[in-house]
Amino acid sequence: MPSLPSAEALSSWLSSRIATYVQRRPEDIRADVPLADYGLDSVYALTLAGDLEDHLGLSLDPTLMWDHPTIAGLTQALLQVLASAA
Amino acid sequence: MNPGTPAVALDARLRELDTGDGPFAPALVAKLDREEAFPDAACQALESFGLGAHYVPTRHGGRLAHYPELVALWRTVARRDLTAAIGHGKTFLGGACTWVGGSPEQAVALGQDVARGARVSWGLTERHHGSDLLAGELSATRTVDGRWRLNGEKWLINNATRGELISVLARTDANGGPRGFSVFLVDKRQLPPSAFRCLPKERTHGIRGADISGIAFTDADVPDTALVGKAGGGIELVLKALQLTRTVAVAMSLGAADQALRLTVDFAKEHQLYERRLVDLPRARRPLGEAATQLLLAEAVSTVASRALHALTPEASLTSALTKAFVPTVINEMISQLADLMGARSFLSDVYAHGLFQKVERDHRIIAIFDGSTLVNRNAVINQFPVLVRAFRQERRDADGLATATTLGAPLPEADLSRLGLVSTAGCSVVQGLPAAVLRLQSLVEQGALPKAVADLAHALKRATDAVHQRMAAQPPSPRDVPPEAFHLAEHYEACFAGAACVHLWLNHVERAPEGSLWRDALWLEACLVRVLSRLTPEAPPGDPGVFDRLADVVVDTAGVFSLLADARTEGAS
Amino acid sequence: MTTPQVDPTSVEALEERLGDPWDDANPVGFSQVLAADERGELLDAGEQLLDAYGLGSEFVPTSEGGRMTHLPRLISLMRAVFRRDPSLGLGYGASSLIASVNVWTAGSAAQRHAVADLLLRKRKLACGYYELAHGNDLARVEFEALPSGDGLLLNGTKQVISNIRRADAVVLFARTQAGAGSRNHSQVLVDLTRAPADRVTHLPRFRTTGMRGVPLGGVTFQDCPVPSDAVLGAPGQGLETALKSFQVTRVALPGMFLGIVDTGLRTTIQASKARTVYGRAVTDLPQTRSVLADTFADLLLCDAFTTVAARGVHLLPREASLTTAAVKFLVPRVLMDAMGRLSTVLGARFYLRDGDTAVFQKLLRDLQPVGFGHLARVAGQMTLLPQLPLLARRGWAQPRPAPAALFRLDAPLPPLPFDKLAVSGGGQDGLAGSLLEGLESLGDGARTQPLRDRLEAFARELEVLRRESAALAPRELIVTASPAAYELTTRAITLMAASACLNVWRQQSSDPFLGDPAWLLAALHRLDVWRGRAQGPLPEAVRTRLFTELHARHEDARAFDLTRMPLSGWRPSPAPLS
Repeated sequence: MPSLPSAEALSSWLSSRIATYVQRRPEDIRADVPLADYGLDSVYALTLAGDLEDHLGLSLDPTLMWDHPTIAGLTQALLQVLASAA
Repeated sequence: MNPGTPAVALDARLRELDTGDGPFAPALVAKLDREEAFPDAACQALESFGLGAHYVPTRHGGRLAHYPELVALWRTVARRDLTAAIGHGKTFLGGACTWVGGSPEQAVALGQDVARGARVSWGLTERHHGSDLLAGELSATRTVDGRWRLNGEKWLINNATRGELISVLARTDANGGPRGFSVFLVDKRQLPPSAFRCLPKERTHGIRGADISGIAFTDADVPDTALVGKAGGGIELVLKALQLTRTVAVAMSLGAADQALRLTVDFAKEHQLYERRLVDLPRARRPLGEAATQLLLAEAVSTVASRALHALTPEASLTSALTKAFVPTVINEMISQLADLMGARSFLSDVYAHGLFQKVERDHRIIAIFDGSTLVNRNAVINQFPVLVRAFRQERRDADGLATATTLGAPLPEADLSRLGLVSTAGCSVVQGLPAAVLRLQSLVEQGALPKAVADLAHALKRATDAVHQRMAAQPPSPRDVPPEAFHLAEHYEACFAGAACVHLWLNHVERAPEGSLWRDALWLEACLVRVLSRLTPEAPPGDPGVFDRLADVVVDTAGVFSLLADARTEGAS
Repeated sequence: MTTPQVDPTSVEALEERLGDPWDDANPVGFSQVLAADERGELLDAGEQLLDAYGLGSEFVPTSEGGRMTHLPRLISLMRAVFRRDPSLGLGYGASSLIASVNVWTAGSAAQRHAVADLLLRKRKLACGYYELAHGNDLARVEFEALPSGDGLLLNGTKQVISNIRRADAVVLFARTQAGAGSRNHSQVLVDLTRAPADRVTHLPRFRTTGMRGVPLGGVTFQDCPVPSDAVLGAPGQGLETALKSFQVTRVALPGMFLGIVDTGLRTTIQASKARTVYGRAVTDLPQTRSVLADTFADLLLCDAFTTVAARGVHLLPREASLTTAAVKFLVPRVLMDAMGRLSTVLGARFYLRDGDTAVFQKLLRDLQPVGFGHLARVAGQMTLLPQLPLLARRGWAQPRPAPAALFRLDAPLPPLPFDKLAVSGGGQDGLAGSLLEGLESLGDGARTQPLRDRLEAFARELEVLRRESAALAPRELIVTASPAAYELTTRAITLMAASACLNVWRQQSSDPFLGDPAWLLAALHRLDVWRGRAQGPLPEAVRTRLFTELHARHEDARAFDLTRMPLSGWRPSPAPLS
């Protein structure tokens, strides 16, 4: 079991991933803005969930992003899932 | 369409009539369809315009000089209401036997009648025999006083009730056979009421207002002058007249396609989905481009075929069958593709554009059935496979006729209907001229006048056409049990014909290449060839399907009718 | 044929009740069905018949006191109704079913009980999702159910709702919160018998070209109060509930509509036998036989795919988002094209609203909503699109076959697992695994060579699909994707359908017809025709085998689908026209 990623690492991974999705630079993606504002559709969330599963090596409810629609919120939620899985 | 043509004048007139409470206003068209009422006011307006005179060849005193003009006229009406177009246009079909085989006196008299507004219907089919003309039972026998006595029934006849006259195919030899039938032009106004009975209007799936009925004759005596052509010559006469009517009837498909495309594009422009206009979604653009390509192919084919009535008259048995099989079929496909984009609005009668989309969808299905179904026409082509194979191998063609048929500006000679034949001993010049045309395209690539990719597609068409002919050569003759493989080959031959028609049309206009965006970089030709090849070589279709997206850009930006012809402004005859 | 102990709830019993469609004296025969259609009414005798049969209880899971055991049974029952009168099928029941799956998936015990009770009392439940301005774009739905005091206030308009005027309750898809996220909508179950009359305005009926008997209405609510416990599930869960529960109906409806083409084909065969042209019956023309065989193969293809996907909802619920979306994209198009093709055999007769083929034009019109109704075909593609990359990394990289029971038509099914449906398939595709497994099991030999060639080509396609899906740019995963990306979903759907056919064949090897490779080869050819990769008639031996079977089924009055079930009421061969 690899050690838990830090909040910063997770957040920056998400920013860069989302930046690729919406074709912007990672530094333009803010952690406190709802992803929908970047044009990240609800179906993207399903794809992103798959990416996250592969990145973190665990299984996620694909609607996690619907409940936590910002990077900051999502990071916290992911840390909780990781902690309870560890 | 050139300014000053009758179709332009008709269009201008109909523009005044298709708004407000005019007879072609969409709300009224929809209402009449719902009530299954004949579009009287619309047909009256067409009559006032003088459309009837365009059903009469100039040599008989009418204004029908060129068949492409009639196609343009009907298309103009059909894009507003197919019921009216079919209801009015029937008179040309009713007169066709007389134009082909009548005496000058008969033709002139009928022409005057039609110009005055008489309606003529055409009685070919019977209740239990459908397209099987040789099985017809309605009989005409000689009376002692030299007249003809008609007995029997014709059924599913457009305007049988409303028409004042009807051309009837009647059995004149009890034993039937190809020489056992004759055509009579029956004037209902001259018959006593006891001699005929009009059958009730049939309730139909589409063109619900049309007068689709029938007529039953009981000892109806007609004078000898009602006989059109020779006694016993009826089958031959009908088969020749059908060459005219099948060629021009596809104007109905073009008009229907115009209307369906316009309704869909307008909807896609106004409908918002996912915070975009539907029309801006790539997945909507592709089918729009594909649909528009179908329309262009249909237009190219009907243009060449209607010009061929003048320029390649002896080949009309083939060109008419190919056209009538091909055009309604691709337009049916096009409409169903557009229906996918229209979604619920293709089904709801009141929500969008008065439900005209669902009307045209139902109405248009009749075009592939009437005046010779797709199957009947394919059968006619199959019967001529052997000569087509030979003529293609020899690259035999009427080069002058082909050039005239495929050059919009070339003056058209009068159509000499005496040159119509039951079979085309010359084959089909449009297809047989393809190899030479592909060579010409190649030289244009070298001059930088044509993208190489498009010439490559033409080469692929040439190879596919070779392969189709090889399969046709291997197809054993089967006059009775025509196998489905032969029908499939006929379908492929149609695709070759359509592709070749496009190549010739493009080549003959490249020198003064119109500036329109359809013509730039041979865009329309590329789209048509990609489409045709997707049918001929479905396993590995060549070409860039992105061409449909590029074509869709043009469609979306086009105001008014999307047409190859509108873009190809050329001097001279239409 | 009278069997003393026919289960009164069985499909056979329903068929028996429906009786002979060609009998003019039958109150639910075609002449009455057609007359009701011309009047724009639902066939009253048909509704009474279905009430007596208790069709409403078939929409209620057994756990809620109803008779809904499994999807293939439900489809089979409804298909029997659709064979007779699609308007009756949709107007009597399918719309109640669509609304109720939301309740079975997300409703509380009290809500489930209330809806079960309503349906068992033979009342109607309406489904209010649609807003004309937004189509399938659920996230933009404007209808509001916003908190006010201790309840909710309904505001807005829903259009094109079946049965809304006579329904006791309606499930409304409503915005329960402002904003653009995915947690702003909910389903609200509204008891229309209690809604204050002055807050509810019905819209005029919507007229349609087909399904003309189905009463389609609309409704506007203005400051209409409902209790806060009217929400199904947790507030904001609406999109998720829709995506999950509609997997059930998205596969069930095309399965029902298949009955339309069954009757279309039967009508065409019958008319063609009775009609002579060029001195022989139309059914004796090789071209006619070829078209009829094509259509039969289309039906088998559609039924194999639909049945496997429906069984999959029970057995592999996690993957149901994929398979049911795939069915929705493929089956409607195949069915619509099949009806169009049959019309060419009928010729001018198809155009007539009277006579022995009059029902055909009605069926042609009634079929159309299969494409756009209850989520459009393109919505099926859009469900698959965002799942492609994960499929490429998982299920298509290490394919795992589905259990054999998925394809065994007689294998028992567990109850519908509404609680196990998921918005996304997690990258698994058992059908892909079963495709490869089926290919390996073929073994060598000349007899299976054509089949093996075909399947090997599919296996190569799977590899291409995996590669290209893995390389898809993120912008290619949403609605603005390029046609090339959408084309990948078509390919994925093709492979799923091919696997369904192949494995239905494998698992029914002892069945004299379903175990014969002829129908499988035919179905795979028709699949390629559907996606534009092939054309033309079936090989002669194959089409002869299919036509022989088809003709025998017609003479015996049996269904043209996988079940081959007897249609007891359908007189095999009515007297030809005099």
